Amino acid sequence: MIFKLEDVTVYFPYDNIYPEQYSYMLELKRALDAKGHCLLEMPTGTGKTIALLSLITSYVLSKPENPVKLIYCTRTVHEMEKTLAELKLLHNYQTRHLGPAAKILAIGLSSRKNLCVNSRVLAAENRDSVDAACRKRTASWVRALAAENPNIETCEFFENYEKAASAAVLPPGVYTLQDLRAFGKQQGWCPYFLARHMVQFANVVVYSYQYLLDPKVAGIISKEMQKESVVVFDEAHNIDNVCIEALSVSVRRQTLEGATRNLSRINQEIERFKATDAGRLRAEYNRLVEGLALRGNLPIADAWLSNPALPSDILKEAVPGNIRRAEHFLHVLRRLVQYLRGRLETENVEKEGPVSFVASITAHAGIDQKTLRFCYERLHSLMLTLEITDTDEFLHIQTICDFATLVGTYTRGFSIIIEPFDERMPHIPDPVLQLSCHDASLAVKPVFDRFQSVVITSGTLSPIDLYPRLLNFHPVVSRSFKMSLTRDCICPMVLTRGSDQLPVSTKFDMRSDPGVARNYGKLLVEMVSIVPDGIVCFFVSYSYMDEIIATWNDSGILKEIMQHKLVFIETQDVVETTLALDNYRKACDCGRGAVFFSVARILLARLEYLRDTFQIKEGDFLTFDALRQAAQCVGRVIRSKADYGMMIFADKRYSRHDKRSKLPGWILSHLRDAHLNLSTDMALHIAREFLRKMAQPYDKAGSIGRKTLLSQADLEKMTNDGSINEMLY
Amino acid sequence: EDEDDNLGLEAWERSYADDRSWEALQEDESGFLRPIDNSAFYHAQYRRRLRTTARIQKGLIRYLYIVIDLSRAAAEMDFRPSRMAVVAKQVEAFVREFFDQNPLSQIGLVTVKDGVANCLTDLGGSPESHIKALMGKLGCSGDSSLQNALDLVQGLLSQIPSYGHREVLILYSALSTCDPGDIMETIQKCKESKIRCSVIGLSAEMFICKHLCQDTGGSYSVALDESHFKELIMEHAPPPPAIAEFAIANLIKMGFPQRAGEGSISICSCHKEVKVGVGYTCPRCKARVCELPTDCRICGLQLVSSPHLARSYHHLFPIAPFDEVTPLLNDPRNRSRSTCFGCQQSLLSSGNKPGLYVACPKCKKHFCLECDIYIHESLHNCPGCESL
Repeated sequence: MIFKLEDVTVYFPYDNIYPEQYSYMLELKRALDAKGHCLLEMPTGTGKTIALLSLITSYVLSKPENPVKLIYCTRTVHEMEKTLAELKLLHNYQTRHLGPAAKILAIGLSSRKNLCVNSRVLAAENRDSVDAACRKRTASWVRALAAENPNIETCEFFENYEKAASAAVLPPGVYTLQDLRAFGKQQGWCPYFLARHMVQFANVVVYSYQYLLDPKVAGIISKEMQKESVVVFDEAHNIDNVCIEALSVSVRRQTLEGATRNLSRINQEIERFKATDAGRLRAEYNRLVEGLALRGNLPIADAWLSNPALPSDILKEAVPGNIRRAEHFLHVLRRLVQYLRGRLETENVEKEGPVSFVASITAHAGIDQKTLRFCYERLHSLMLTLEITDTDEFLHIQTICDFATLVGTYTRGFSIIIEPFDERMPHIPDPVLQLSCHDASLAVKPVFDRFQSVVITSGTLSPIDLYPRLLNFHPVVSRSFKMSLTRDCICPMVLTRGSDQLPVSTKFDMRSDPGVARNYGKLLVEMVSIVPDGIVCFFVSYSYMDEIIATWNDSGILKEIMQHKLVFIETQDVVETTLALDNYRKACDCGRGAVFFSVARILLARLEYLRDTFQIKEGDFLTFDALRQAAQCVGRVIRSKADYGMMIFADKRYSRHDKRSKLPGWILSHLRDAHLNLSTDMALHIAREFLRKMAQPYDKAGSIGRKTLLSQADLEKMTNDGSINEMLY
Repeated sequence: EDEDDNLGLEAWERSYADDRSWEALQEDESGFLRPIDNSAFYHAQYRRRLRTTARIQKGLIRYLYIVIDLSRAAAEMDFRPSRMAVVAKQVEAFVREFFDQNPLSQIGLVTVKDGVANCLTDLGGSPESHIKALMGKLGCSGDSSLQNALDLVQGLLSQIPSYGHREVLILYSALSTCDPGDIMETIQKCKESKIRCSVIGLSAEMFICKHLCQDTGGSYSVALDESHFKELIMEHAPPPPAIAEFAIANLIKMGFPQRAGEGSISICSCHKEVKVGVGYTCPRCKARVCELPTDCRICGLQLVSSPHLARSYHHLFPIAPFDEVTPLLNDPRNRSRSTCFGCQQSLLSSGNKPGLYVACPKCKKHFCLECDIYIHESLHNCPGCESL
């Protein structure tokens, strides 16, 4: 359908539109007009992505005088592919109606692992080794050597791409990763480098958050983006965590051991170069005297996305004299690793700010702040000089340098936490030194500063006023939309009492009460017997989960649950959890049924900082984070309007208004008063009824009273008689 | 102490707690309590059904296996007295209705218990033998296994002749399935052998069942209560649309056996017993069988009687669905016609307000909703058109 939205003609590839999509587009359009940032919450399953894409592309088509580039960030490759597939549909529709004028170039950009077409490179198992395998074949010095010695392996796709030079371009169109690979195979060009090259010309770029937020990657990929871009962060409810993760580093004993190995490798290389090609090292030294910026790959004049890990002055400054020479730099790193090893030998949990930590490094290892700050760039330069291609081997030393640079650069917003063991296994020493970032706005600040409009959108952004404070920006539009439903497909309940009428809560003083654990167990046992397929059960922390599972195991509750469903438990190990999740999904799909025990975790160390810096009360943030977790779990449930799900908030604290009101509006609107203060047996009855009701066939378009699908004619009529505003507000 | 234990309730208490009779009431505008008026709703449901089945090729020769889940979940008491008893009762009614509507078809029963599927009765055309076998075997325990049931049925159905329609109707109480292997493969196998699988759930929607039904072209529904369950199961009685691959014209060899004379004594080939009187003689091999329709045990010929064929005929030529009419009160022509042509009842509902009624598109006669359902589902002839 085609309709007018104020002065923009919107091309929407479907015959019908949801009313909330319409209002979403309207708000988005106003934000674009104002050239400001915006924050939009709309429940999952309402077609956010297509509304967004079709508005922005239509906006560009309507205003050809100022072309806006769309940078669309997704969290996973899967989401990226889905977005591009939708864009393709939209693009086909637009070209059908507008002809070749609507042609755009849209590409997805991902790591080599997802784009490479060279079968020998792809044989490597993980991302880092694919990267390394690629570099081994494409690095300039390797290719130079290969020109003389045909036995050295290169990548024919890359060679062809280089040969084609400026002729290597993508014709306009929408390219998913799959299409890029197919195109690359067909032309014999490397799709990865082609995509990276085309990013600056493309009208739409879809890639992962990291390409904008992680300072290490952003520097390489996103530097050429123009200011007149719209940046969209989709599924951005966790954006603050992504930002924090991008700037957090954790160092374990293995890291230090690996780093030591790396250092001796580098040392050998230096010795080798000294013997064969001493000139290179000298040339590097001279370059470093002149400052990092002149090194060639960080153009100084371009005030683009300034690297947050490296304040702008670092680019102009000369590298400190004590690490200019490769051997000296190695010594510094050795001392640093030695020092960190010493710190890991601690018996108790230690917490320190960056300032005192740096002071202590200076005192014990004799490395000053400025030196630390340059570590990352210096290492990078050294590895280039030494022509090291198997970068995946050098991850450990890179981690250490990353750590050093961050500690040296920031005095606020970080803390260093040393834990001698995992809190769940106090007998097994597994020391870890974490540099954890508390300030999500650090990583995201350059993005807000640089781009004209940044759109943050997700199914759950409540409370919506907290995000601007967390990320430290000023949105021109921030709104939360409700879903118009043909039926009540979500059923939230607040359960406050067990079947014995005693209150249940995970409040700290009630947690260890055996009665509470028993009541929770009873609830779960009953639920698994009436809910089909999958249940996800969230706990407040790992330790609480372990404790309760142990209790359930002793009292036989776990066994009862297993009669109905398989039990999967989330652990802190990522691989294990992925495996568990995978099997959980499988068990749900094949009808066996499964329960997944998961943790909605909360970072305590961040609280203090947030209070000091952004005037966000600890209590507020805690509730926010916990409820955000809860809301997201539910968001998982609903992927489209045909889906349905139940959510049980089993804690008496949810019956309090101040806690409950933090839930997203679309959940609250379904929370009926009768469902606010339930005991286990009442909840069971409601659940049974609900599941039966939802299994009935239903009418998609909605009845006359509650119109949830608008056709073009409907929309025109409503715009003309002004009732559209009624619907929106 | 055992207050949440249903068994601890007194009998009179239980009848209130279970029936929830107050839920069947609603308040009207003036505050009076009335039973909920569902007739319009049911009528809409019925029309939906009608529209989908109008004038298409039908599979009249059906081979249907009914899979009854007798796992632990079938003992649950949310249907009274238990899911198992309700299922058994409705299966009995269904089997009779099925043979009434599909005289050329055959049914077999399979039960699932303790994770194992058992064939209770082989395919056959006699309602009594199935019902007897089922009633003797009630009792539930253990887990349920969808895959085992499908594997068993698939094995049994793959032997039947290609002109027959292979169907499975699964009455599923459980909410999970404990399978020995990959159920997706089994579903694929069912799809390949063109078995139409339908499921009626008794508690909630399961993803795998939905997937199974979608893949094999069956229907999936979940029962709200006993009457709804009855409705759902009865929807499977009329023959389904024919699968495209089978829709080619095909000649089937059939025998029309003679009924044996009164008082003749012979040994029947089906029970191997001496029978007096009743019985039919196969026209090809002269073997004696007790009931029709069936396959001859000796020569394998399909034996039917002509009324069986005649009774299947109307499925092929259903009468067109009637149009809904919303009457104008002041229309004088309407006044003369304000009775139903079928039952002669007034079409004006209480308070002289005209209710909803329908008209035959051919003869333009008016009918009330009850006659509409009766004509389409039982009579299969329009009295208006016949009397022209």
